[in-house]
Parts: sequence; C-alpha cells; structure tokens
Amino acid sequence: MMNFEEIQIGWLDRKVRYWTFLILYSLFASAVPALAADVKMSIEPQLISLLDRAVLKIEFINTKGDTVDIPEVDGLRIQYQGQSSETRIINLKRSSKVIHKYLVTPSRIGDFTVGPVNCSYKGGQKEVTAQLRVIKPEDDKQAQQISEIMFSKISTDHAAPYVHESFGLDLKVYIRDGVQIDGNFSLRGGIPESGLEGDLKWDVTHKEQEERNGVIFNVYTLRTSAKTLTAGTFSFRPQVQLNVVIPRQDRRPYGLDDPFFGDFFGRQETRPIVLDCNTLKVTVQPIPLELRPDSFTGGVGTFGFNVSIGPKQVKAGEPVTVKMRIFGRGNLSQITPPTIEASHDFKLYEARILSSKTPNEVIFEQVIIPTSDSVTNIPAIAFSYFNTKTADFRTLTEGPFPIEVEAVPQQAAQVIATIPSSFRQETKILGRDIVYLKSIPKKWKTINSLAWHRTNPFYISLAFPALFLLVMASISANRNALANDVARARRQKAPKAARKNLQRAEQALRKKDEAAFYEALWDTLVDYFGHRLNLAPGEVSLSAVLARLPQQIEALEALFTTIEQRRYGIQSGDNKTDMKNLLKQTTATLRQCERIKR
Amino acid sequence: MKIQFATLTTILFATFSSSAFEKESQTPPIQPSKSVIFLEAQAAYDDRRYAEAAALYEKLLKGGINNLEVEYNLANAYFKNGNLPDSILHYRRAVYAAPRDPDIRANLHFALNAAGAAEPVPSLIERFFGTLSQNEWIMVAIGAYFTFTLLLSLGLLIRSTKWTLFRLSLLPAAMILISTAGWWQWRQLDIRPEWVVVQSGTTALFGPIEGSTAHYKVPLAALVRQRSSDAKGWVEIQYDGKNGWLKEEYIQRVFP
Repeated sequence: MMNFEEIQIGWLDRKVRYWTFLILYSLFASAVPALAADVKMSIEPQLISLLDRAVLKIEFINTKGDTVDIPEVDGLRIQYQGQSSETRIINLKRSSKVIHKYLVTPSRIGDFTVGPVNCSYKGGQKEVTAQLRVIKPEDDKQAQQISEIMFSKISTDHAAPYVHESFGLDLKVYIRDGVQIDGNFSLRGGIPESGLEGDLKWDVTHKEQEERNGVIFNVYTLRTSAKTLTAGTFSFRPQVQLNVVIPRQDRRPYGLDDPFFGDFFGRQETRPIVLDCNTLKVTVQPIPLELRPDSFTGGVGTFGFNVSIGPKQVKAGEPVTVKMRIFGRGNLSQITPPTIEASHDFKLYEARILSSKTPNEVIFEQVIIPTSDSVTNIPAIAFSYFNTKTADFRTLTEGPFPIEVEAVPQQAAQVIATIPSSFRQETKILGRDIVYLKSIPKKWKTINSLAWHRTNPFYISLAFPALFLLVMASISANRNALANDVARARRQKAPKAARKNLQRAEQALRKKDEAAFYEALWDTLVDYFGHRLNLAPGEVSLSAVLARLPQQIEALEALFTTIEQRRYGIQSGDNKTDMKNLLKQTTATLRQCERIKR
Repeated sequence: MKIQFATLTTILFATFSSSAFEKESQTPPIQPSKSVIFLEAQAAYDDRRYAEAAALYEKLLKGGINNLEVEYNLANAYFKNGNLPDSILHYRRAVYAAPRDPDIRANLHFALNAAGAAEPVPSLIERFFGTLSQNEWIMVAIGAYFTFTLLLSLGLLIRSTKWTLFRLSLLPAAMILISTAGWWQWRQLDIRPEWVVVQSGTTALFGPIEGSTAHYKVPLAALVRQRSSDAKGWVEIQYDGKNGWLKEEYIQRVFP
C-alpha cells in the first residue's frame, strides 16, 4: 500500500509531465505554421457593375509583409486603404495574417487583370495576380463609361479679362436622369493654386433638365467669379466630387469590407465619384504699359472719385486732412492711394485706409501740413485707373482746394508742428508689398566659423566654475569640521606651535641664553603635546603623554627628564654642543611622534 | 579674507566672459569681394533685375556665407521674381536666425498670404520658446550656469549671507532649466523639420504608397511640419491641422 506522501508525489509528477507536454506541444504547434508562409491576392467581388467598386486584398499568411505598389491598370483606379492583421488559435494551432487592402474603382467596363505583383515577405517572394470583370449597370445598358452617365463642363462669360478684372465661371454638372445623388458637391482641385485673388466660392444657382443625344440629364449650375493677380493663361479643370446613391438590393453583397458603406443597416449606400470635366483656359491680359498715366495707382475696373478736405482755415503748421474716396466696381483692395504733388510749402504724411461700411468703396485719409502762410490752395489730386469696358486709361481729377493759412510766430509754429506725430502713430502699414532689403552686414559669418560658445576652449572653460565650486565646497566643509571638532583643530595646530617654540630655542642658543633656551624647549613640549593630545596647559606631564603615546617611552622619558632637570638647574649641560644635541633630539623625537597616527 | 575670495571669483568670471567674447570678435574681417557681390545684388534688385539679384545672393550663400541679411534679401529677390517656394524657404531660415525680427516675420506672412498657404500656428509654449533663437537660449543657459556657480561659491564662502545667496541661486537654476527647454524646442526642428512644398498640385495621401487615397491638396510654397518619415522617401506631414503623406521630391527641407 502506498502512503499519502507517495500518492501526493505521484500526482505532482503527473502534473509536471502534463504541463511540460502542453508547453512543448504549443511551441511545436506554433512553429509549424511558420513553415507555411504564403501570400494571396484576391479581388472581392470579382464581378461588378460600372457604378460599383471592389476591394483588392493582399494577404500575408503566417508572415509579415510591407505595403505593395500595385501597377497601374488602364480603366481602374486602385487606392491603398490601410492594413489589418488577424491572429487565430484553433485546436492549439496558431495562424496569423497581415492584410493590405486597396479600393478598386472602375472607370469603364471590361475584363481586367491586376498584376503580376511581386510580394516580398520574410523568407521569400511571390508573384500574384487577380482578375476583375466590370459590366454595364443594370439600369443603363448603353453606358460604357462613367463619363457617359455623369460629367461636368466649365465655361466663362469673359474669355480675355484683364488683370484684377472680375470674370464669371459657370460649372455645369450633368447627371443622367434616374441616377440619384445626395445633392452635395465638393471641388477637389483643378483650380489654379496661385495667381487668383482669394478663394473661389461656388454657389449652386439653379437646376434644369437638358437633352443631349436623346438622353435626359439633370443639370446643376454652380457659379462663381474670379480675379487674377497676374497676367497669363489660367487653366481651370475643376474636379467635382458628388455622392451617388445606389439602392443596396441592386448590388452584389460582397461583405462589409468596403469602407464606403454609407448606410449600414439601410437599403441604400452612397458612393463618391469624381466627375470628368473639360479644361477651360482663360487668357488674362496685362494692363498695358503704353499711355499709362503717372497717376495710375493700380485701379482696374470702373470707378468714381471724390475728395474732401478740412479744415479749410488753419494756422501754418496745423494739419489739414484730405479724404479721398474711390468707389465703383473693380479691384478696390489693390488700389494704392492717389499721390498728392510734393511741395516745399507742404509737409506730407503717409496715407492710411479708413474703414468703410459701404461695400464697393475705399477711403484714404492723408494729413497735409502747410508750412507757411503763402499757401493758398491744396493742389489738384488725380486718380487714374484702367477702364476694362473701354480698354483704356481714365483720369479723374479733383481740386485744387482753396485754403486760408494764417501766419504764426516761429516758436508757436514749432510747437504745433509736433502734433502730427500722433498722425504718424495712427498711420498703419498698408501691407501691399514686402519690406525692403536689409543693408550690408557689419561682419561676415561663414558656415564653418563656429560661434564662441561652440568652440573647444569654451567647452573646457565650462568645467572651471564647477571645479571652483568643488574647491569652495571642500574649503567650507573643512572649515565647518574644524569648528565642530576642537581636538582635530588643536591636532592641526600642534606642529606649527612646536616649530614656533623651536625657533625661539634656536634664537636663545645663538644668544647663549641658557634659561631662555630650556624655557623654549619646555614650551615646545607643552604646546606640542597640549595641542596634539588635546590637553589643557596644566595637564601636560610625562605620565599623561606616555599614557597616550606609549610607542616613544624611552625617547620621551629622556627628553622630558633632561629638559626639566636642566630647566631647574638640577643637571648641567652648559656647553653649546650639549644644547645643540638636545635641540636636535627634541626635533627628532617630535618628528617621530608626529608620524604616530592617533 | 571673504572680500578677497569674492574679488578673486569676480575676476575669474570676468576672465571667462571676456575670453569668450574675444572669440566672437575673431570672425574674419569684411572681404571686399563679398561686399561687392552684396552691393551688386542690391543694385540689381533696385533695377528690378530680380533673377540676377537672387543669383548673386545665392552665390554668397554657396560661398559659405551665413548671414541672415543674405537669406532675407535672397528671399525678397525670389519673392519679387515670383518664386514663392524658395522665397518662403529663405524667409523661414532667416526667422530661425532672428525670430524677433519684424521685417522677416512681416515678409514671411506676406509671402504665405500670396501663396494662399496657411500660416503655421504655434502653441503658446512654442511661441514663448520661439522668442529667442537656439543660439540665444544657449547663451542664456551659459550665463545662468556661471551665475549659479558664482552664487553658490559665494554662499559657501560668506557665512553671513549664505542662505540668501543659496536662495538667490535658485533663479539662475530655473533659468538653466528654461533655457534647456528652449534649446530642446529648437532641437525639435532638427528631429521633425519643417518643409516647403516646391511642386504645384501636390496632394497629401492617406498612406505612404503610390495610389493611396488622396487626402487633401497642399498649396505650392506651403510650410508643412514633418511628423514622421519612412525609408522609401515618404514624409508624413502636418498642414493646417491635417496629417498626410508626401514624397520627398515634392518638398524641400527648411532646417539645414
């Protein structure tokens, strides 16, 4: 009979074997599909009508692959839509897929072959192809191409406008009767990107029906007006995009992969279609240079002009405001202010634009200051523009304007003359041109010349402040340590104190002053060992020193005894040689003591 | 003793600063030929020979000249000659060198308007850090670093004002952090540079592959910001708040 422990060990053993098998099997099972890497290309559905679309898929099975460039196919538009991935584990078998999807939109009927497409993946490459058949729509058996079902046409009311002259553009959208659209139009380009003034705003003006070659079309007219900033030929070929509503029951079910499903649970879906359009070339004529008057300030169109001034009675140095109003049809926003003839009798300031509540007019205000009482009138102001109806330049002149200028004393005139500074401040930049060039630089910089803060010496010098800070921190730390530890501070003072007294002893020796010599030697011992062992002056004795420095017993005993005896005259050592020897012995003993770490 | 240390430190700091600025003044003197070319270009511009002016300014740049006046004037010449992409490219480079120059900003704004392109709208933080150029931020950081170490050293030496000096050193420490952030902001232009669209009819696509769905049109000479790129020469850009992919051949990098 097995006991309980044997049963438990057997159960654990089986459990370990089971999990080991499971892990190994899983690893094996997951490794097997790696051998079965493959690439497939398919189009779903393979049969569609002209108004339908299909989804092309490239599937990398059990491997990974990047997006693939699909070669162009005449009659098909293939657009990349993105990638997705799938991982499945069925019966412990793992399989994975990376799927790249492309949307296929036909523009004519026929049989198409997409490919061969070379697909590279980890471990190999494969060429794949796919077939697609496009048939006529069920409700229009005659149509061979989308452009026969819906298209657009653009035209203008002015074939050769001038620069800045407005011209109308009509865009007609033809849709075969019976085809449903959702009524929204959007323009996706085909309009010149530069040279036009502002963005074009298209409005649907009306809808009508028109018969073309026995087929009824619903015609939507979109209208806008355009102006150009430069002369030249401008090509218009707008790409109108609209959404065609297609009943779902008339269409083949091909899954939910189509990203353009408009109405998932409804019975209709919408499909965006970009219409073909003719190219309209508008040749914009430049404003002629011949016969252009000096007073031409860029006006193109048909305009009126009037000028008012005020006040009409001023003192010399006082400002007079000239208001110039230009109104009519044309490029009002491009017109620069008419110029007032400069004169020594006047000081002129920059003209500024006044805001106007009335459309189709622009008002300029200019400050003019008569500088002397000899001024009797403000000269006539001329405004010239190019008349697009008559194709010639016209000049409108206002004035001269009589004014009365009163003489004032010189000093007063100077004071008043400072007033116009406020006008200068109010004058805003018209913003009709770029700011002028910058003057020659004071010094030339080259690409190779490094800035001072990018040179190697500077990088090195950056280390100095940090090092300096470290040194300061070290000094400060040492100072703090000494302030808090009296024994350590006194220990550091000991050699210095000893040296000082030994020098005293040497001097006494030279002077043959025996008493002073031995007194200095005794002070050497007291000061040195007092500091060294942190003892009070009265505590320094041979026994106290020996208790703390037992390594030098003999030398210290001899030194203390000799100095003390000679100091009190107990023992004589009067000759100079003895004194010298004693000095040397003291120095040597203290050096020995200094070497002892304590 | 303390006064002696403070004096020594000040002298050291002054020595570093002056030696640093001496380097600045060692830039080569004006070469007559460069000045002549510059003046010739200006004369050509004044005579409305804009193409010639642009060629002369380009000659200076190709000769290794790196003055913002040349970049700016070249941009003006290109603008007057009707070459908006190159004009905006050089205006933008000039803005990088002198971000507070009102003339450059006004002309860039004008040129972008003329191109019908949306102007980049920087965030509040980008606007703040954009007030100084990258070099200026570096100089602020260096100045703050020297001041920081000086204040700390003095604080260690002069016990009576120790804590005042330590508290005061927080100011340059904060400046070091701010200027590092400013430098990093400019560094982003190296990592995710700006590009100028140089081909008309450019359309940003949804994916980095030919035939991908068109997303939106990008006007000629528009300034776009890179988000990412791939090895096949595609650049993911952001323009007017929208992302899309363009081929590198349609755009030119602003940051060198």
